[in-house]
Amino acid sequence: MDTTDLTTAQAGSKTIATTTKTVLREAGIGIALIALIIVFSFTPHFLSSSNVTNILTQVTINLVLSIGMTFVILIGGIDLSVGSVLSFCAVVAGTVMTLPGLDPAVAVFLATISAIVAGIGFGLLNGLISAWWAIPSFIVTLGTLNIARGAALQVTNASTIYSFPAAFNAFGSQTFYGIPLLFLIALVLVAIGWFVLTKTVFGRVLYGIGNNEEAARLAGHNVFFYKVAAFTICGVLVGIGAIIYMARLNIASPIIGIGFELNAIAAVIIGGTSLSGGRGSIVGTLLGACIIGVLANGLILLGLSDFMRQMITGFVIILAVILDKYRERLTKA
Amino acid sequence: MAGAAAPAPAGAGAEPVLELSGVKKRFGGVVALNGVSFSLRPSEVHALVGENGAGKSTLIKILCGIIQRDAGEITLDGGTYDPHTPGDAKKAGIQVVHQEFNLLPYLSVAENICFEDMPRKAFGMVDYPTLYAKARKALDAIGLGDVDVRRPVESLGVAHRQLVEIARALMGESRILILDEPTATLTARETERLFQIIAALKAKGVAVVFVSHHLNEVFSICDRVTVLRNGESVMTADIAATTTDQLVTNMVGRQLAAAMAAARDLDTSGRTALSLRNLRHPASPHAEGVSFDLHYGEILGIAGLVGSGRTELLRSIFAADLPLSGTIERDGQPRHYRNPKQAIRDGIGFVTEDRKEEGLILGMAIAANVTLASLRKVSRLGLLDKREETRLTRALGGEIKLKYGDTADAVSTLSGGNQQKVVLAKWLANNPKILLLDEPTRGVDVGAKAEIYALLRGLSEKGLALLIVSSELPELITLSDRILVMSKHRIAGEVVRADFSEERILNFAYKDERNHGHH
Repeated sequence: MDTTDLTTAQAGSKTIATTTKTVLREAGIGIALIALIIVFSFTPHFLSSSNVTNILTQVTINLVLSIGMTFVILIGGIDLSVGSVLSFCAVVAGTVMTLPGLDPAVAVFLATISAIVAGIGFGLLNGLISAWWAIPSFIVTLGTLNIARGAALQVTNASTIYSFPAAFNAFGSQTFYGIPLLFLIALVLVAIGWFVLTKTVFGRVLYGIGNNEEAARLAGHNVFFYKVAAFTICGVLVGIGAIIYMARLNIASPIIGIGFELNAIAAVIIGGTSLSGGRGSIVGTLLGACIIGVLANGLILLGLSDFMRQMITGFVIILAVILDKYRERLTKA
Repeated sequence: MAGAAAPAPAGAGAEPVLELSGVKKRFGGVVALNGVSFSLRPSEVHALVGENGAGKSTLIKILCGIIQRDAGEITLDGGTYDPHTPGDAKKAGIQVVHQEFNLLPYLSVAENICFEDMPRKAFGMVDYPTLYAKARKALDAIGLGDVDVRRPVESLGVAHRQLVEIARALMGESRILILDEPTATLTARETERLFQIIAALKAKGVAVVFVSHHLNEVFSICDRVTVLRNGESVMTADIAATTTDQLVTNMVGRQLAAAMAAARDLDTSGRTALSLRNLRHPASPHAEGVSFDLHYGEILGIAGLVGSGRTELLRSIFAADLPLSGTIERDGQPRHYRNPKQAIRDGIGFVTEDRKEEGLILGMAIAANVTLASLRKVSRLGLLDKREETRLTRALGGEIKLKYGDTADAVSTLSGGNQQKVVLAKWLANNPKILLLDEPTRGVDVGAKAEIYALLRGLSEKGLALLIVSSELPELITLSDRILVMSKHRIAGEVVRADFSEERILNFAYKDERNHGHH
């Protein structure tokens, strides 16, 4: 039949186009990042090694949270609680770390474990409630945002915890050839996230559910498990994020992490992940987090006020989504 | 009104009010319309018939400005007609009653009817007395005297909603009225009422385009008929000069007619693969549920009207919905599937009715869709083996004659027929013993349809047990060894191959409705 042959021929020529477009997606975000770096490199100190270290340090925590957020958003959810939960994890870990009579190494180890366990706890709570009662995760995590913040204030009686072991503080400021050790840890987490999402059955099904939950369920996949798992993974990364925060700033306080969830969501969205789920990548998220970091740093070097910076960052988020609409149209045509 | 129906060849010889020639439309790689020509005379009722996917809906969407044509000419009263929004179409005097409801469920009947032109008082306030009076008049005109215009639309039954929709369309002074499957949800009495309304409109000079699957309706109220097949208009004729057989042959095409002729002798002597006793879906009003046996090597068809519980039956077997009560035996062993996963492990596959919502993950690759239900086969220790996935996809693709560019292409780039083959491949990848199929050829072009028929026959010859739900009787008659007819969530009757006929099946399907009609 003529019509079917025609369709086949078109499908063939489309293959190359489709693949190119997929690559272009991420490449586009990469090009935006490079363009931004080139523009800012005209300011005097931008490319100095101390400033690069500075940028990478600032990117690190947002990057770690964004990895977890990518999993949640890919499955069609959102986690507004990460900033508060980070604060709760930090005060729990801080309390454990400053327990009297503990060997410093043991204290740091136990603190790390407890931060991650606390993160898992809130992740499970978010996932179980939203999956079991089919409540939008926006609402559930709005609730846990308040619960975690209140719990952090309650546990510490609203006071800040400090004076951690010296070795822990030193670890937080360690660099390799100007690259902060903490950033390298974040990169390892990016690599793990990328591997899980692209190379494993788990990742494949996660994308599937994000795209079409009912089709995935009817193909025999346990949607409940995957939803809970995505929020739990996010919780693990929040726990790790809390330890990184403490290592960098040497404090744990119930008022840290305010607004972190919004930065993480922004990084994921700028990185090209669709808020409705099923489309996006960890590499995009890495680039998105870097764009936010570079932008913040560069605008400071340009001498812009905090207020101006906030406005510009806001515009960039909206611009990223508008550009994504055009990319979507390109892919569909 | 009786006199209005009589005048013979309405508008014959008159200048056509609407004329289409060579209209084409393509969605991505899928050709929806490939050259449609059609003309509508004043005061005529013109039927538009064709199988699902023939292009009727696309054509209507173009006429009412929802989508734009790619090529071709449309003239209205001799001038070019090129609507870009539904508003343009309304201004030109073209009104459409769509197949899907476009009502606002939480607003009242009156507000819905007058939504396009709300009567106003000062300061833009709604003039409720006038609103209710206008709506009352509109409902009375179509014989809905017993419906309160203040009721919210959501409290009405489907048939009444359809009539409210028609009342709304009649509010505007339209010269051309397009009715898309208007009788699908109506009972016989309401259909009769609708036909009287159509006759009255015709007498007023309105031209009506009547889209229907029911050929008997076409023959009873239409003046001319145009048949669409595969996006092309293949014939236009005066009703008086054509026959049902002629229409059907033109609708399905020679290729499919041949496939149907190739119906085989069957064999229902195989072992029992699946046995249902009193299986009751939560939506079923009857405690006795559904009971039957399905044998290996058998193709068992399920006929019945839309809403008779056919899809629900398949969903409760597959545990997509958990049955309320009843038992399932698989190879003689009792089974209680708690979720689709367990049914799949037990060798059952389910090709759903709506492939876009339930069958496919449109944005993902062909290969990812094919292996979606059998990821264990293409992975080790949770790691995907993409080479094996590609190999499996290519092998299955060859077996089912899938036409595609690359296994990494998004499945959304395929035509309807090829998408449906991907859904089949997804289940075949699992080597199922039982395949449940809900409308397996919906929205599939004729060529692919014949291929799917051949594929399904081949599967049953290999010993698979197939349970097929279809709204197209010729399809069931062609494929099935036995047909069970459902009505109101019960088995109303069984027809064996020797007795297959549309009348027999329809008699069972309408059994309950007729009984109700006599009360």
